[in-house]
Amino acid sequence: MDMLLNRLKELTNNKYFQCIQCGTCGGSCPYGAYTPYTPRRMILAIRLGMVEDILNSNAQWLCTACQTCTSRCPSRIQITDGIIPALREKSLLEGKVPEELSTALINIMRYGNPFKESPMKRDGWAKELDFEVPTMMKKKSAEVLLLPECFGAYHRRCKQATKALAKVMKILEVDFAILGREERCTGDHVRLCGEFALFEDLMEKNMKVFRKYEFKYIVTHDAHAFNALKNFYGLNVLHHSQFLHDNLEKLKGMFNELDYTVTYHDSCYLGRKNGIYEEPREVIRSIPGVRFVEFKRNRENALCCGAGGGGIWLDSVMREFVKVRPAEDRVREAKEVGADVIVTGCVLDIPMFEDALKVTGLDGEIVVKDIAELVLEALEGG
Amino acid sequence: MRIGVYVCHCGRNIADVVKVRELVEFAKRLDGVAVARDYKYMCSDPGQELIVRDIKEHNLDRVVVCACSPKMHEKTFREALKRANLNPFLFQMANIRELCSWVTQDHEKATEKAKAYLKSAVERVKLHEELEVRRVRINPRVLVIGGGIAGITASLLLANSGVKVYLVEKEPTIGGKMAKFDKTFPTLDCSACILTPKMNEIKDNPNITLLTNSEVIDVKGYVGNFKVKIWRKPRYVREDVCNSCFDCIENCLFEKPEFPSEFDEGIGKRKPIYIPFPQAVPPVPIIDPNTCMWLNGKKCSRYCMEVCEPKAINFDDRGEEIEVDVGAIIVAIGYDLFDARKIERYGYKKFSNVFTAIEVERMLNSSGPTGGEVIVNGKRPERVAIVHCVGSRDEGNRVYCSRVCCMYSIKLARLIRERTNAEVYNFYIDVRAFGKGYEEFYKKALEEGIVFIRGKVAEITDHPINDYEKSEVEKGRVIVVAESTLSNSIVRLPVDMVILSVGMEPPKDLEKIKRLLKLSTTPDGFLAERHPKLDPVSTTTEGIFIAGCVQGPKDIPDSVAQAKASAGDALTLIERGEIELEPSVSEVDKEKCSGCGICVPLCPYHAISMVRYNGRMRAEINPAMCMGCGVCASSCPSRAIKHNLYTTEQIRAEIRALLA
Ligand SMILES: Cc1cc2nc3c(=O)[nH]c(=O)nc-3n(C[C@H](O)[C@H](O)[C@H](O)COP(=O)(O)OP(=O)(O)OC[C@H]3O[C@@H](n4cnc5c(N)ncnc54)[C@H](O)[C@@H]3O)c2cc1C
Ligand code: SF4
Ligand code: SF4
Repeated sequence: MDMLLNRLKELTNNKYFQCIQCGTCGGSCPYGAYTPYTPRRMILAIRLGMVEDILNSNAQWLCTACQTCTSRCPSRIQITDGIIPALREKSLLEGKVPEELSTALINIMRYGNPFKESPMKRDGWAKELDFEVPTMMKKKSAEVLLLPECFGAYHRRCKQATKALAKVMKILEVDFAILGREERCTGDHVRLCGEFALFEDLMEKNMKVFRKYEFKYIVTHDAHAFNALKNFYGLNVLHHSQFLHDNLEKLKGMFNELDYTVTYHDSCYLGRKNGIYEEPREVIRSIPGVRFVEFKRNRENALCCGAGGGGIWLDSVMREFVKVRPAEDRVREAKEVGADVIVTGCVLDIPMFEDALKVTGLDGEIVVKDIAELVLEALEGG
Repeated sequence: MRIGVYVCHCGRNIADVVKVRELVEFAKRLDGVAVARDYKYMCSDPGQELIVRDIKEHNLDRVVVCACSPKMHEKTFREALKRANLNPFLFQMANIRELCSWVTQDHEKATEKAKAYLKSAVERVKLHEELEVRRVRINPRVLVIGGGIAGITASLLLANSGVKVYLVEKEPTIGGKMAKFDKTFPTLDCSACILTPKMNEIKDNPNITLLTNSEVIDVKGYVGNFKVKIWRKPRYVREDVCNSCFDCIENCLFEKPEFPSEFDEGIGKRKPIYIPFPQAVPPVPIIDPNTCMWLNGKKCSRYCMEVCEPKAINFDDRGEEIEVDVGAIIVAIGYDLFDARKIERYGYKKFSNVFTAIEVERMLNSSGPTGGEVIVNGKRPERVAIVHCVGSRDEGNRVYCSRVCCMYSIKLARLIRERTNAEVYNFYIDVRAFGKGYEEFYKKALEEGIVFIRGKVAEITDHPINDYEKSEVEKGRVIVVAESTLSNSIVRLPVDMVILSVGMEPPKDLEKIKRLLKLSTTPDGFLAERHPKLDPVSTTTEGIFIAGCVQGPKDIPDSVAQAKASAGDALTLIERGEIELEPSVSEVDKEKCSGCGICVPLCPYHAISMVRYNGRMRAEINPAMCMGCGVCASSCPSRAIKHNLYTTEQIRAEIRALLA
């Protein structure tokens, strides 16, 4: 209990004591209606010494770290980066971990990725391209370090987005390289799952690799990696939508017309957490022929895709509680505003939404594209 | 030098710990001490008389009292010196109670420490000089800035006791926010019925000069002697001749009101020539230069001018600068409302069902734009949600509680229920019904069937998550989402109308006024009072007082009470006719001053200015504004500033004796 309280004090900057029990968090949470413990109820239960009740209910796992509660909390309490991970840490220490998540964490510890894939195959996606993507090991220095992160490196669908981004970089004649087999999970989900020791360990190992090479900045299309590198590693990092935006003048000259009605999904760790709203929109809007529509819930009020904070490995826990997953609600909303393409800012969104399209039967009507994929399409002529 | 030293027992407070006899013997041996005595209570009449008698009999020229804190009795003993015809500043106090007897039980150490204080007081007082109290005359007129209920109340109290008042209001009419309400909590009496008689009194009182559509642009001087410049903006209608027939408005080129009415918060319309509301004071129309055809250089036959019998319309009005001299100023510029657009998820200005409370106040007002009807999207609402704490109690916006929103929300709930029979839901964090009759008012609302759901609204949305919600949204409703914290459930309530109970903010002109009057604010952004409990309507600037919401959120009863208090304080100042200026202030030796100006921004009371002296710029301290804090003296690199009662020599002597 003392350890939990100390962790809470540390992670919330002592603010956790200031909860006024207003319930903004619960009303804002995509799982508010299903969870036995909204963040407010968690705080109340901790105050009342009923932590075990929370842990036994599994509510600590029913959070996809979307930051909605935290961004709205009038007491400015770090719920997402504080209360939830602190409870999860306790749960981990007591051995109460959902199977899927436990496997992912062990894999990350052993292999540097959650898929139990060989680190040697981390640059497999690059081999599928018709040009060579240089590694830092060979090149030693480059202007840009492209970081695909685990999903972008191994996941069947996500690596398509990585390849698109690499192609755009090639077209832009950017001097870039990758870490290849030296790359390892940056650990944002690990941290949000309360595995602080593993996170520290990953960070230390990664920093060793980063320090070996010279590069001006990192570019990544994984919003969680972006968040970890920016706010925890303290590195110079651009989200790929910012990178595309920086090169927009050049890109504009090369764009061909596309005939899409596009809506843009604000990823939690791009928008709410890091305040990046305009750059991706400006990139999309500058493609000729694209009709841009907003989701009803956009910018800081956008709905979560459900993958964050380990959510992507918590599906079975979620299903125990939740009837309609947020991604399903989200694709219906896209339909409501008349979009035929959902453009995403984070690679994790793609499998989440594609899965949701199937469940809702909307897969014939709407497609999901990473912003780099959309840009590449405009460059290559639709 | 002949110094008298007096050691007080303070009953047993001092004498039980400090050996007072030993102290007296110690004093007697000090250089320059002519008399030393101890007494049970030095502050008592016989105690003071002891000093007076000794001064006369022993020809004393300095006095030291070893007793309690100078904050308690320095004044008492200075008065005693005065009675014995000795300059009261040839006096020093040593605090041997709070600093010695109250902090230890060790008799030896307490006595040693007391001796050190006694000696340092003796050494210091030797260097004291005679200081003269100066007097300045006080101008008996008062300026009141802001004509809301606070400014109106203060003006009337002053005027009725014979004081000449200038009341400056920036809008075309006085009345402030209260003029917009239909009813007021907790009594539900009609706002206009209690306010308009007071507004008319302002108009009719010969002691009050009312300057509406005007703003203060410059203030110079100090307590008792302020010189104020006021800018009267052009009204284009002469107040002195207009007879309030309003034929001009009737005959304006614009047959129908077309422009959003400021007074109606934009939900009503007005013409370019208009009167904010029927009982406005002064009851004189105003022409808005932004919407008037003629003033925009467009064609217009100026029917208004044509039909005006007393010839009051004056298109050549250029405004004017007015200068007045006053002795005191009351700031009563009220508050602004939180801009609900800042909380995007509440959908203000996005959904036509979402209103702010003040808009609904206008809607409910029988002389307002809808004639008192509550109409949303063309029909009466059947279900209404009231969202408390919009912008208040929120660290991202305003941390403080705005104090009136709970009560006005309950008021609006009751009025809407009464007029429309709608279901009304209040979403609240805590119901703060703190005032007289307020809890009773809340209970009445509960009895009338108004629903209270404890939970701050998370969002207001038109995105349905199921078929039921879909059909509700299609009916034009929006969905209010909140956690009902008492039932541990998430509420999604489709409603026809949402009222946002926006909180209070410091008025936007406050920055300007603060600069002009050299005032300071508390962290919440409202004006700082001199002492939050014991001096709530004075400011850190002598002669300037505050009233109403400009000091912090409050309701009408509190605003009125504070207005009367500030008028009382202003009267107390004026009634004195003149004020004594503390001589323990700082002075600049202009010969030594290098003109660097470092001291000017450091002075917390803005008492220092640069003046021309023998052809060079030199600092000068206004003794009427100096509060004697000494910041300037300690910061002057040329050592040109001297604090009369804290000279370097005095402080040095004091320290040397303490360390000896
Ligand atoms: C929706 C709502 C409903 C309310 N209902 C009630 C109720 O039922 N009962 C109750 O007790 N309280 C109620 N209140 C609170 C009430 O409004 C305040 O207590 C009261 O109006 C405070 O009066 P005031 O004179 O301090 O400020 P204000 O009413 O704001 O008056 C300030 C005046 O100063 C003027 N001014 C501003 N800047 C300048 C300047 N630079 N120069 C000259 N003049 C200037 C303004 O134009 C205004 O006329 C309610 C508040 C709200 C928001
Ligand atoms: S939103 Fe913040 S203050 Fe309100 S209940 Fe949740 S944690 Fe507490
Ligand atoms: S971060 Fe999102 S999912 Fe997690 S508790 Fe907060 S609102 Fe719910």
